[in-house]
Amino acid sequence: MRELKFSQALNEALHQEMERDEDVFVLGQDVGKMGGDFGVTKGLWKKYGDRRVIDTPLSEAAMLGLSNGAAFTGLRPVVEIMFADFITECFDQIVNNSAKAHYMFSGQLTAPIVLRTANGGGFRAAYHHSQNPEAWLMNIPGITVVAPTTPYEAKGLLISSIRSENPIVFFEHKMLYSTSGEVPEESYELELGKAKVKREGSDVTIIASMKMCEYALQAAEELAKDGISVEVIDPRTLVPFDKETIFDSIAKTNRVVVAYEAPKTGGYGAEIAGMLNDEMFEFLKAPVKRVASKDSPVAFSPKLEDYILPNYNEVLEGIKEVVEY
Amino acid sequence: MGLEINKLKQMYYDMNLIRRFEEKVDEHSKKGNIPGFIHLSIGQEAAQTGVMHVLTESDYKFPDHRSHGVCLLSGSPKKKVMAEIFAKKTGLCEGKGGSMHIADVEVGNMGNNAIEGSITATGLGTAYASKYRGEDNVTAVFMGDGTCGRGELHESMNMAASLKVPLVYVLVNNGYAISTKAEEAHSFPENLSDRAAGYDIPAEVVDGNDIEEVYNAMNRAVERARNGEGPSMVELLTYRWQGHFSGDPASYRPKDEVQKWKEEKCPIKNLRVKLENEGVASEKLDKLEEDASKEVEDMVEFALESPEPELEDAVKYIYAEPYESMKEGK
Ligand SMILES: Cc1ncc(C[n+]2csc(CCOP(=O)(O)OP(=O)(O)O)c2C)c(N)n1
Ligand SMILES: [Mg+2]
Repeated sequence: MRELKFSQALNEALHQEMERDEDVFVLGQDVGKMGGDFGVTKGLWKKYGDRRVIDTPLSEAAMLGLSNGAAFTGLRPVVEIMFADFITECFDQIVNNSAKAHYMFSGQLTAPIVLRTANGGGFRAAYHHSQNPEAWLMNIPGITVVAPTTPYEAKGLLISSIRSENPIVFFEHKMLYSTSGEVPEESYELELGKAKVKREGSDVTIIASMKMCEYALQAAEELAKDGISVEVIDPRTLVPFDKETIFDSIAKTNRVVVAYEAPKTGGYGAEIAGMLNDEMFEFLKAPVKRVASKDSPVAFSPKLEDYILPNYNEVLEGIKEVVEY
Repeated sequence: MGLEINKLKQMYYDMNLIRRFEEKVDEHSKKGNIPGFIHLSIGQEAAQTGVMHVLTESDYKFPDHRSHGVCLLSGSPKKKVMAEIFAKKTGLCEGKGGSMHIADVEVGNMGNNAIEGSITATGLGTAYASKYRGEDNVTAVFMGDGTCGRGELHESMNMAASLKVPLVYVLVNNGYAISTKAEEAHSFPENLSDRAAGYDIPAEVVDGNDIEEVYNAMNRAVERARNGEGPSMVELLTYRWQGHFSGDPASYRPKDEVQKWKEEKCPIKNLRVKLENEGVASEKLDKLEEDASKEVEDMVEFALESPEPELEDAVKYIYAEPYESMKEGK
């Protein structure tokens, strides 16, 4: 099958959805002529013009406000927030309007928006261009949190997100944009709320998404040489969280590691650990291990950034620790 | 432009309806029959009524926290507005919204909102949708003087002007944001709405207690919007007679100030005088007042008799498209 980069897969999803549905439009900073900071919206403006591809000013709150209001009338805005760190600037609209519009008016309104945003470290971009705010969004009932790892997932999940009636925050780890993988040419959906077992194993389960899932797969390959059989699960969406797939795996392996790039305290792995404690305690032969960022801002110095963020080695060691417990 | 007598009589009825409504809400809030924060608009009835007489059901309305009157005049079954404030299942939002979150999308009431100013950004979206589809309906967002400080408003004005969307900012300037006077906390040129000029948005300041002035100013703004001439701001100078919320003694305001507004600038009394001068019999006006009282009494009765929401409603409507893998709210 043909291979695409992660950013190209997203771009193809946008092209196909805009072609399919006149109600889909795109807005964000530099999404038009330039095609987006990471090239995800390339070619859309040329094809669809100012009406359906809006280059906005630096006005994240108004961008989300515009998206919400348009979505209330049945349009399907896809809004690009250039870096996930800037979600703070439109947090009110997400928390108080996108997430609650359907609930507080008893189903009269829906807010089918997709907020796409680039998260994650490794770009040497420091504090304000490197964060992983998934967990901030997970604490808002009503919001769906999507986190693809491969180009195949990027395309299918984005198409499902655009077609969903729910407001969606769609994370794109910036270190994944240039990774390649097989992507079908035709349009397809991937179910939101369905995890993927990416490698089967019997000794330990590791739950990891986005960049951390790449590390998990590498570690599983490496540990197989030592006879350790690692099952790797990618949740694909953090909300809703596919308990069934994950609980089935843990019932088999009885050991679990959660790897995530956000600060350890209150990160999504912390929620998973809590959930497993509540619902899977009797199946566990070892404490749930969290491999995560230090509880620190992401520093600028490459040496410091590498020390703060969780790396491949820590994932590897984390799995071993749980297996040997 | 003077309005025709029949229209003014309808406005007189509507303003009385809002006042009686607010008095009853105040009474039942104090009795404990209505939960939560209640923001009353007694004294501001002309601002709400004049604006709503310009807008139609196909226009998008975003009321703010002090907007019971806007909700009443949107075209909804009025008793359902009252029932909502009483947190009853028969309310417009089945008791999930309350005084500060009332919507009736069928008549273009897109929901009031308790994050002051956030609707100025959301309204950008409905206005953009009208333009996107080539429809001629307009969006009106309500806001207070205090809300002029919100960043979302400024982002909204900047983008609304640039995109030339059919949006009207209805600035209800009642002089206070809770205890803080506008001129104490804001940059204050001659008028608060002067800031719109910085975004190339035309603004008009009128006596918000003179229903004809309100109506005419709003009409001009809406006409501009419908003609594709972009956003406008209408600043309505008015005053709230009561405290910020039902139960607030408002000791931060001089008593004679309140007295002066009540005596000289009551929007209802002033319209009555005008109508009597136009030859409308005072018995006719008394009758309109009685009818309004009666209508409100019926609303209260309906609300009091209505059931509360069911417990299972608590986790309903969290997701418009519920997920199989997720029991809502669990
Ligand atoms: C963003 C935000 N900040 C603060 C508040 C608390 N608050 C509610 S109403 C209000 C004053 C609003 O004043 P104004 O805009 O003049 O409207 P008014 O109450 O006079 O109608 C404040 C501070 C809020 N609800 N939302
Ligand atoms: Mg005020």
